[in-house]
Amino acid sequence: MSTLTRRDFVNFSLASAFGVSYSGWLPRMARAAAVAEGAEKHKAFILLWMAGGPSQTDTVDLKTDHPNGGPSKSIETSVPGIRISENLPGVAKQMKDMAIIRSLTTAEGDHDRATRLMLTGHRPGQEALNYPSIGSLFAKKLGDESSDLPAYVSIAPMRFGDVGGPGFLGPNYAPLVVSGDSNDPESRANLSIENLKAPVGVTKESMERRFEISKFLQDDFSKSAKGASTKSHTANFERARRMIETNAKGAFKLDEETAAIRDKYGRNRFGQGCLLARRLVERGVAFVEVTLEGWDTHADNFNAVKRNCETLDPAWSTLMSDLRDRGLLESTLIVWMGEFGRTPKINATTGRDHFPLAWSTVLGGGGVKGGQVIGSTGKAGTEVTERPVKIADLYATMCAGIGVSPDHENISPEGRPVPLVDRGGKVIEEIAAIPESEKKVKKNSQG
Amino acid sequence: MMSKFLWSFVVLVLLSSSTVPLVLGADSPDESKYIQVIKSSTELARWIDAKFAEAWNQSAISPPDVVDDATFLKRAYLDLSGSVPAVSEAREFLAYQGAYKRDTLIDQLLNDTRRPQKHAERTAAHWASLWRRMMVPGNSPEAQAAVGLEPWLKEQFSTNVPYDQMVRSLITAKNEPQTAMTVANARLGIRSGGPAMYFQVVGGKPESAASSVTRMFLGVRIGCAECHDHPFAEWKQKDFWGMAAFFSGIKNGVVGDLPDAKIRPETGTVDYEAMFLGGEKPRFENGKTSREILAEWMTSRNNTQFAATAVNRVWLHLIGRGLTDSVDDLDKPSTAEGQILDELSKKFIEAKFDLRWLIGGICKSQLYQRQCAATDESLAGVLPGLRIVKTLTPEQVFNSLEQALSLPVGSADGSARFNGLRDQLIARMNEAASNNPEEFRAGIPQTLLLMNGRITTEATDLDQSRTLRGVVEAPFLNSEDKLNTLYLAVFSRVPRTEEKQFLMDYIAKQPDDEHQKLAYAEIFWGLLNSPEFVLEK
Repeated sequence: MSTLTRRDFVNFSLASAFGVSYSGWLPRMARAAAVAEGAEKHKAFILLWMAGGPSQTDTVDLKTDHPNGGPSKSIETSVPGIRISENLPGVAKQMKDMAIIRSLTTAEGDHDRATRLMLTGHRPGQEALNYPSIGSLFAKKLGDESSDLPAYVSIAPMRFGDVGGPGFLGPNYAPLVVSGDSNDPESRANLSIENLKAPVGVTKESMERRFEISKFLQDDFSKSAKGASTKSHTANFERARRMIETNAKGAFKLDEETAAIRDKYGRNRFGQGCLLARRLVERGVAFVEVTLEGWDTHADNFNAVKRNCETLDPAWSTLMSDLRDRGLLESTLIVWMGEFGRTPKINATTGRDHFPLAWSTVLGGGGVKGGQVIGSTGKAGTEVTERPVKIADLYATMCAGIGVSPDHENISPEGRPVPLVDRGGKVIEEIAAIPESEKKVKKNSQG
Repeated sequence: MMSKFLWSFVVLVLLSSSTVPLVLGADSPDESKYIQVIKSSTELARWIDAKFAEAWNQSAISPPDVVDDATFLKRAYLDLSGSVPAVSEAREFLAYQGAYKRDTLIDQLLNDTRRPQKHAERTAAHWASLWRRMMVPGNSPEAQAAVGLEPWLKEQFSTNVPYDQMVRSLITAKNEPQTAMTVANARLGIRSGGPAMYFQVVGGKPESAASSVTRMFLGVRIGCAECHDHPFAEWKQKDFWGMAAFFSGIKNGVVGDLPDAKIRPETGTVDYEAMFLGGEKPRFENGKTSREILAEWMTSRNNTQFAATAVNRVWLHLIGRGLTDSVDDLDKPSTAEGQILDELSKKFIEAKFDLRWLIGGICKSQLYQRQCAATDESLAGVLPGLRIVKTLTPEQVFNSLEQALSLPVGSADGSARFNGLRDQLIARMNEAASNNPEEFRAGIPQTLLLMNGRITTEATDLDQSRTLRGVVEAPFLNSEDKLNTLYLAVFSRVPRTEEKQFLMDYIAKQPDDEHQKLAYAEIFWGLLNSPEFVLEK
């Protein structure tokens, strides 16, 4: 059990909470604003999760000279020699900062199991262990626990599979889930945190008095009921209070952005979700997941992929350029992936089915050496013909891309060390290198 | 807006004492059986106290004091019936002067079936929920579907079926026809099932059945040995597959039996024969199924591991920590507490696996009634057997809110139980629930829900809240009575002097009546969001 880390966390947040808690709101809000201006740079990871499994053949690994390619046409990108789908014109312009892996090969073809594999880095059911999700793993490595915002935020998650949680790392690394009930970003309570705002009719002053009364009762209880649970309650209460008082550092106020930039991202849930991801990263959040669903294209694949790309392309490419404009691209890794690819062969309903054997993912920003393609799936796209990449290799490369050693380990509840990257994972060295400072990580370091 | 009639009714409820006197009435069913249980559970309490007195004496330790009546009251209600008491029940218990009031309360909560409180039924429902959480831990869709096991479990607890018999029914359960099923939660589309549902929700495979049964009922985790020999304990792959072979008739969620108790792992090349955990070979005879043979072996009087696991689980829920470190790992060696556990397990077997006797005995002991030990820094260093501050389960939080806020409970009056608010709260709390009462895992979403969610918002709104309005609008209550009633509703106690001073000052300094009412609402919010509400000391 990771008691030690949990207790450390509690002590830490207690200290920081009590240090500033009762100095009134204004100084704190001013501080939040200063941070929001990008005064601090920290490492962050944005996952663009394509639920359902996007077709590689119609996005980033086209087969225009083969019947498997279907009607999808390719276009030039900003990197000579690399061509991707005409569905992604904006992304094509960002290719200098992106590396496409076309030779990913995995062994799970069921949505649930494949989602578990891709989002934890471990095959499901291999061991009696509740693996942490990618968000929790990197939140633990990259997060600042004294931050007013949680380290892992998941925007409108939709997955085929019960995964995304902290697993054995425990609730300190659980995602803060941002609701996304509607595709209309302007609809009520969309792209916001449930219950963050005080109820209608309760004034700011009344809320402040409620907190004062709570504080009195908390102190009273803590005197007679000393225990880890009491401490956790107090620390957590303070974090929730800071979230309310700073209105989550204003991260969710998307209307602070210009109309032009909001239009550029796209006025839909995914587009505005990507904009929100940038605002969260600016405010110190370590891991943000934004989901675009609708990729399970068993029928009418080509129209469906085209429609999805109309949402994906402006959002993804604007996220890249916006982060670059703000000097945050080098410190932020952006990964595009789903649970598997889709069959190169077109089925009877003009669709493509599940295909984990040879498919693609894209890494950008961070320490990624852009403008390159790794691996190949040959003429027909039916198998990896060059440089096969396994899930552990992908995880190792993501680690390197954001400057973390793949040798880190976490300790399971049974006291067993569980590697961040599954056994045998090797960094794709063409894409990223592990920084010197991380090279000496010892095993059993508790991550 | 609440009708005038309704809130005057609530005022009456908040002010009156309960209608059933605090003695065990003669109209309980099967009275003689319960009276026996009650007598011997008092003896068990004395035995527990003597054992621990001896252990502490030897190490020259003086245990903390016994708690006051109010703390005991809240503990007993939360631990047995899964909710804080009603204001009327709290008033009555605190005012009552009888010498045996604590024992009487425990007996009443465990055994009293009379209306309107129906204590025994509420206690059975709470323990069904606890047992379900232990059997299918976590927050997976399967764990959520396991709620469907509760009606069956509740029936076992409410008729006090001996524990060994209950587990035999579980282990040997077969699929029932669909007609035998009722609905456990219509909104969430969860069906209730008989005991066979257990095997379905833990995975519907021989392997999942073997892992779950050995962990839950024998306190041994062999799951690791499915793929490789256990890294720390003695268990080997053949132990795991030997147990799995008993369940070879469970396939794709169909719970049945095969004539051959053999199993071949998906990736394996050899069959494993059924073998009891520890290496003993079963003897197949008289046409018994492999699961019947396993159930007999597991629940036999000679298998103290079985009784010890049950005792340790009950102990964990009442005291906050098992008699040994982990309820799921009884195969690890232990010390002094382990000895007490062994002896208590033998007594449990002698008492014919009577759970009510066990629960009653622990609750009546002085040990149960002592102040919590501080668990500030390390888990070690807490005196064995002492209580620790416990975290409420999601169901306890909801039930306590329902009680404290005087929420309507019928399906017709838009109550939280039926309009989705309960499901929403439980689902949110489940995201951060733990089977270890020592852990408080709630995060920001859970905290925000209690701060600003609809249940709290309505509870602190003077127009909508039953309890708050009932108290604030009562013309015959002075401000101290009002404060006392709010405290009784949420904390089951009246405020201490310094609390009273602080809060009465706050009320007194309000400029007018309207502000005073608002101040009560703010205090009520503070009480509901205090650690004292979601933690049990």
